[in-house]
Amino acid sequence: MEKTILNKLPVPTFRWLGVNGVEHEIKKYETKNVSVSADKDIIRNDVTESSKFTIDAQNGETSEVVQYIKSSGEISLATEINVHNGAKVRLVQVFENETGAVSEVAAKVDENAVFELVQVYLGGEKTVSEIKTELAGRSAAFTADIGYRLTGEDKLDINLIAEHFGKKSTSEITVNGVLEDTAEKTFKGTIDFKTGAKAAKGSEKENVLLLDSRVKNRTVPLILCAEEDMEGSHGASIGKLDENHIFYMKSRGISEEKIYELAARSRLMQVISKIGDDQTKARISEALQWGEEDE
Amino acid sequence: MSMKEKTQVADIDRSLYDFRYEEDEGEFLDSGISTDIIKEISDEKGDPDWMRELRLKSLEIYNKTPMVDWGPSIEGLDLDNIVTYIRQKSRMNTNWEDVPEDIKETFERLGIPQAERESLAGVGAQYDSELVYHNVRKEVAESGVIYTDLESAMHDPKYADLIRTHFMKLVPPTDHKFAALHGAVWSGGSFVYVPKNVHLEIPLQSYFRLNARGAGQFEHTLIILEEGSYLHFIEGCSAPKYYEAALHAGCVELYVGKGATLRYSTIENWSKNMYNLNTKRALVEEGGKIEWVSGSFGSHVSYLYPMSILNGRGASAEFTGITFAGEGQNLDTGAKIVHNAPETSSYMDTKSISKSGGVSTFRSAVVVKENAVGSKSAVNCESLMLDSISRSDTVPVMDIRTDKADIGHEAKIGRISDEAVFYLMSRGLSENEAKAMIVRGFADNVSKELPLEYAVEMNNLIGLEMQGSIG
Amino acid sequence: MSELLKIDDLSVSAEDKEILHGVSLTVGEGETHVLMGQNGAGKSTLGCAIMGSPEYNITGGHIVFDGEDITEESPDKRAKKGIFLSFQNPIEIPGITLSEFLRNALEQTTGKRIKLWDFKKKLKAAMELLGMDSEYADRDLNVGFSGGEKKKAEILQLLVLEPKLAILDETDSGLDVDAVKTVSKGIEEYRKKVGGTLLIITHNAKILEAMQVDRTHILLDGKVAKEGSGQLAYNVLENGFESIVSGV
Repeated sequence: MEKTILNKLPVPTFRWLGVNGVEHEIKKYETKNVSVSADKDIIRNDVTESSKFTIDAQNGETSEVVQYIKSSGEISLATEINVHNGAKVRLVQVFENETGAVSEVAAKVDENAVFELVQVYLGGEKTVSEIKTELAGRSAAFTADIGYRLTGEDKLDINLIAEHFGKKSTSEITVNGVLEDTAEKTFKGTIDFKTGAKAAKGSEKENVLLLDSRVKNRTVPLILCAEEDMEGSHGASIGKLDENHIFYMKSRGISEEKIYELAARSRLMQVISKIGDDQTKARISEALQWGEEDE
Repeated sequence: MSMKEKTQVADIDRSLYDFRYEEDEGEFLDSGISTDIIKEISDEKGDPDWMRELRLKSLEIYNKTPMVDWGPSIEGLDLDNIVTYIRQKSRMNTNWEDVPEDIKETFERLGIPQAERESLAGVGAQYDSELVYHNVRKEVAESGVIYTDLESAMHDPKYADLIRTHFMKLVPPTDHKFAALHGAVWSGGSFVYVPKNVHLEIPLQSYFRLNARGAGQFEHTLIILEEGSYLHFIEGCSAPKYYEAALHAGCVELYVGKGATLRYSTIENWSKNMYNLNTKRALVEEGGKIEWVSGSFGSHVSYLYPMSILNGRGASAEFTGITFAGEGQNLDTGAKIVHNAPETSSYMDTKSISKSGGVSTFRSAVVVKENAVGSKSAVNCESLMLDSISRSDTVPVMDIRTDKADIGHEAKIGRISDEAVFYLMSRGLSENEAKAMIVRGFADNVSKELPLEYAVEMNNLIGLEMQGSIG
Repeated sequence: MSELLKIDDLSVSAEDKEILHGVSLTVGEGETHVLMGQNGAGKSTLGCAIMGSPEYNITGGHIVFDGEDITEESPDKRAKKGIFLSFQNPIEIPGITLSEFLRNALEQTTGKRIKLWDFKKKLKAAMELLGMDSEYADRDLNVGFSGGEKKKAEILQLLVLEPKLAILDETDSGLDVDAVKTVSKGIEEYRKKVGGTLLIITHNAKILEAMQVDRTHILLDGKVAKEGSGQLAYNVLENGFESIVSGV
């Protein structure tokens, strides 16, 4: 076994914060190769062993590829996606592992193509997840909706990088999460405007609800820019619920405990609502122990 | 044509900062850093034993500490050839008339004694390695405020203990390589002490000038504010331009007592061959407040992130900053805030501008410790790109370890809108003037926090940077 | 009366789409003209093209002002020659106060240094006339102003800058009755004091009530569909466009 640095921050910062990368022991995996062509509406995959997925979407194809990552031990998953001119792919990754996973998504998005990523993290002792999207073509579009609910001693490190090369390319990153018990999470999100990405737009938002005094949350939203004609923004809101919000709900007879439960759920529901496949939605709701009836 | 100048308050010439006097070769200590050089500095200054030890210990740490592995490149800096200490021709003066002619003229041209006469409670001026002038108004001295050079204070039995217990305690030599270098070769700088409940209504000012070629400036500023006191301290920096790289590795340690407020303003305009690796840190006790106002215009490379440690209940920090990176500049600036007590709050408002190939990076850290329940932090940073050969990066980190906190962060990056330029042009402003006006407006968060004459100077610097080269 | 503005066979496009197709019209010095037309007819485009907005490309024809061809001039040169556009949506500029901005603009357009005291006096008088609270002078330009306040601030600039030609692009739209009255008062003051020339783009009868309109131009699909006396404007307001232009 050798130690490797994963999830490297594209522009490293103060060492003492410990956000520049994740040291991880890489095991030697037997990797299964899976090739997916995006010619069906919904393609579901159970990922129970280390795998490498290649997803290829040609012009006019629209597809939702779902991956359930669930195994008894740690696994490694690599997903390579090519969204060619005019195609549209939605990749839904549901992390159900108890132990953890090392996941890497590498996407290339061509002219007028759309890549939508939905990730839901339902736990994992140690999950290291990297997403690198290259917006190569004119008007290439990328959206990422990421949700997590971490409890116990869960640890999650996400490193998302959206690189804008194409003119008028867009990226929209929305992260919603809840941390409980002694869970730890680091979200690093980078929007990188390369020279020539004229009229590109990128935005990034993270909304974290902290529900225990022992949680650790790190949010690292980078914007890198080498092009004058662009617009970028990021925003983060971390902590407890707004007091006016709590007061208002209490005045309608809802207990504080219930208010937090509702808030946690609504954050994740925002992410889940981006999934097209009803079966997957139901599966996540069940895992979160939220019955259909009180959705 | 004349109208052009009228949009600026009063035009200044870069040559105002670029002029210089030839220094006398005999006054230099050998370049590079060795135990001998450190001992020589100690001898020269008559250091007490603890200071001798601290210098040597720092050198040891310096030799062991690796270079930073993030941020702008400092390869152009040849540390073995930086002159760490330049002995001054005369000792410190409290009478302006006694300052040597060439040094006096340098400061006169920078408007320093004039500023003192007009609006300052006290002023200190450092030329290369030593403080050459220090003076405080009589009524200020009578209130018990001490404003003197650090070295005489260190030898004065009244303050010796105070200095020994505070010096490099907030920024230890182990902090990073340049803090260690500072500990080994520091020279000059100011000591300020404000007694309990004393409010200084007018600011104190320190002015640093690095005149010698291929030299380093390593001044140390130590400020102690007792309970309930108030001080505004202004720091100005400049240097003429030489072809060799110069180094500024100063250190600022600020102790803000219970309920005290310290405002620390800096307009930095080092010449564009300066490596500015400065460390500034404030420790704020219960109910105290630190307010940083920072304008970074000069230097070739800057690493500058004033840090506020909020150590007592209800302590707060405000940071207002602007960075303007033009041609040949790589300015990495920002702030660090550590919430280390309940109900502490911090507010950061920064602007950065990149132009003509300049690189600006906003870098920040907001750390909320487990014990900082009920704390609040809001960070707002905006960047402006003036062309596509420049670069602007935003690298903030938030590390939050309690659920009972309220942390917000907003960042925006963009360009000058064509619509806004057209609107201003339709009222008769030229394209350059319109853009300069929009940039001045963008920098307004800082200029309105500065005393008037500094706001004017800052606007002039912006005008100077914007003039003629865009559109 | 001598010709102040002459638009000659002007074609204008935005983002490769032609909006104006060969518009010609002439405005004499000291006259008041009204420019009407349905939404999308190209009225604002014409106003912006006269001012030299970079959003529009002039693909044919000329704009002559005060005897000089200004088709290629930058907006600031046009302003210095005496053209003023009251914007339909005035832009917000943070960090620059209304007063600082206006003093700069006045110095630029007149080419003279203005004493702070004289400027303040002039600004104060104009603000009083428009019923604007004096604190607006120290607020950032248009930032957080309501729609009505923005329009008043445009008229305030008109009164301070005293241009030869004022193009008012729907300055009255979205205003309540009292605000329209105030704006009209400002325009009347401009006419009285400067004897200026007006090109008014409007849909509204109210603003024309107190005015002596000399000539009316009606735009339809990027062309001048009809021209006539001042009376034509009032007819349009009474009967709508259809009856007027249906014969074209």
